Amino acid sequence: MPKTITEQNLRLLIDSLIKEGTRVIGPRRTGTITLYEPLARGEELDLNELPRRSAKEVFFPVCENILSFQRGEEGVKVTDIDPCAFPETVLIGARPCDAAAAPVLDSVFSWDYKDEFFLQRRRKTTVIGLACTTADDACFCSAVGLSPADSKGADLFLTPVREGGYLCEALTDKGKTLITSHARLFAETSAAAPLSLNEPAGVKLDLHKIKGWLDENFESPIWKEIADRCAGCGSCAFLCPACHCFDIVDEGTEAEGHRRKFWDACGFGKFTDHASGHNPRDAQPKRYRNRIMHKFKYYDDKFGQTLCTGCGRCIRWCPVGIDIKAVLEEIQKG
Amino acid sequence: MNNTAQKHDATPLVAESYYAAVTDALRTEAARLLSEGVVTAVIGYKEGRRHGTAGPAIVVDPARANELIFSAACVNNLALYLTKAKKGVAGTGKIAIVAKGCDLRALAGLMAESQIRREDLHIIGVACAGVFGSGADRREPLSAGNLAGKCRECSVGAPEGADIVIGTLPPLPELSPVEAEELARLEAMTPAERWAFWKENFARCIRCFACRQVCPFCYCEQCLCDRNRPQAVETTPRPAGNMAWHIVRAMHLAGRCAGCAECERACPMDIPLNLLNRKMARELKELYGHEAGLTPVEKGPLVIYREDDDQSFIK
Repeated sequence: MPKTITEQNLRLLIDSLIKEGTRVIGPRRTGTITLYEPLARGEELDLNELPRRSAKEVFFPVCENILSFQRGEEGVKVTDIDPCAFPETVLIGARPCDAAAAPVLDSVFSWDYKDEFFLQRRRKTTVIGLACTTADDACFCSAVGLSPADSKGADLFLTPVREGGYLCEALTDKGKTLITSHARLFAETSAAAPLSLNEPAGVKLDLHKIKGWLDENFESPIWKEIADRCAGCGSCAFLCPACHCFDIVDEGTEAEGHRRKFWDACGFGKFTDHASGHNPRDAQPKRYRNRIMHKFKYYDDKFGQTLCTGCGRCIRWCPVGIDIKAVLEEIQKG
Repeated sequence: MNNTAQKHDATPLVAESYYAAVTDALRTEAARLLSEGVVTAVIGYKEGRRHGTAGPAIVVDPARANELIFSAACVNNLALYLTKAKKGVAGTGKIAIVAKGCDLRALAGLMAESQIRREDLHIIGVACAGVFGSGADRREPLSAGNLAGKCRECSVGAPEGADIVIGTLPPLPELSPVEAEELARLEAMTPAERWAFWKENFARCIRCFACRQVCPFCYCEQCLCDRNRPQAVETTPRPAGNMAWHIVRAMHLAGRCAGCAECERACPMDIPLNLLNRKMARELKELYGHEAGLTPVEKGPLVIYREDDDQSFIK
């Protein structure tokens, strides 16, 4: 029989997890902005809107230390970070566009090099997904093969019901364990009516056709037409649930410091700036082309997946109004 | 907020027909300039796919002049596209640019810094009642309720110094200056409180550099904050580097920032960057009697050197 959980019990579940020593990350509002952040108590959970930044930072933080170094009398001592020591985590309230991105990213982070910083966090995190009722005109999850009801990437999936509270579907062992270990907070029901979800409007995208065009059009006047106005910031890449480029830098003093891994973006002019002074992507349209190619061609070539979940964040926050959905519709026309 | 206030808040500042008329005149002017060969390109705005949105457009074909629009969604300061950082975007030759009053101040500043020349520009001024605020509801017409904060205190709605000005604004209501009030609130804080305020705000910074990339005055070919050998400012999005970057940005723009507030609008993390700009602008006015962007000839006090400068601070 399907399980349900009330709004109140969902918050009690968070309190109970925190008490057990689990780190709980969920949408939390501060001032004008909602972000996925560690919650101190259940009441802080705010599911009213799609968080400004995606949930990728739960697995791939904005910035993290990957080792530290100290100069001592016996030379330089290097201390590794142990990813096995990362805390057990529950990510709660991840919308389909955020939850679905995590398994897409697994491919690249476990390809020729196993990125234990990412992979350990994935192993240690249980994802509680949330069916989405708040699509706006930037959303296009259903145009890239997902939907507001898609539970991909979730261990446990919540669907809001008319009576208040949520229908809970356990999709993995992690999800089942979460329910059985907190059984008193869940109820069994035979009749819960899911709220109608808000399917994003607009043209469906034919990703196969788009990829076919991209295969043939590395050189096309369209890139200049679209992206001359691109300002070259990293807003789109940083808010994106699927963009995963990072840079590594050593910071500190001569006596001690850290090696840090932090978000990078292909829109930056310096992204492909070679030490020789040569920059193969020497103009903004070439950089924007890479963004589209990586998402809809290269990642597909390599892993058979699309690097976009249609969350619309890049559309909402592009300072110069570049609309990836409009770009893809244009490409689809051929 | 009571019902009366809400009603007042939603009152349209200008009729929709105003934007239609300005758009028509703008298209006519752009088509004329391009077909007569007065300019090689027109930098303006075109409508976005989503309702109530618009973005920058560079039009070179007179037949495409009808893609240009003007509305409250025309938020961008297009002066960006004339800077060294965006060199080549609009091609060579004389260029026309659509400019609101606030954008014109940036153009004047860029002229003063010898980045552009007046004779290379054909400035199409547009009389502007204000633009939508970041994150504001754009389904309703422009009103005090969805107006950008900077526009509530605008004194340059009708641009001066343009080659042509399109549109005549109806009288606009006086609005409470929310930015000035916020600045006053910050100034009334103790240094410790103010430090805490900025620390909290900068903690959200992800170093996407949207603030830098949309700024017409951030045209350095080598930004100090991109350097890592030697590293002047930590490049990682962490408290120390974030604080340093935003201080560098504010100081480098002091006396130059023309107040378009594009940095704040572009910030995806809602950091109130324009408060820093405004504070610096006020300091510059008090210390040197200088206001950026008022005339295209005067360089900011922090970018010029005179032999009779007060040097007593050098110990």
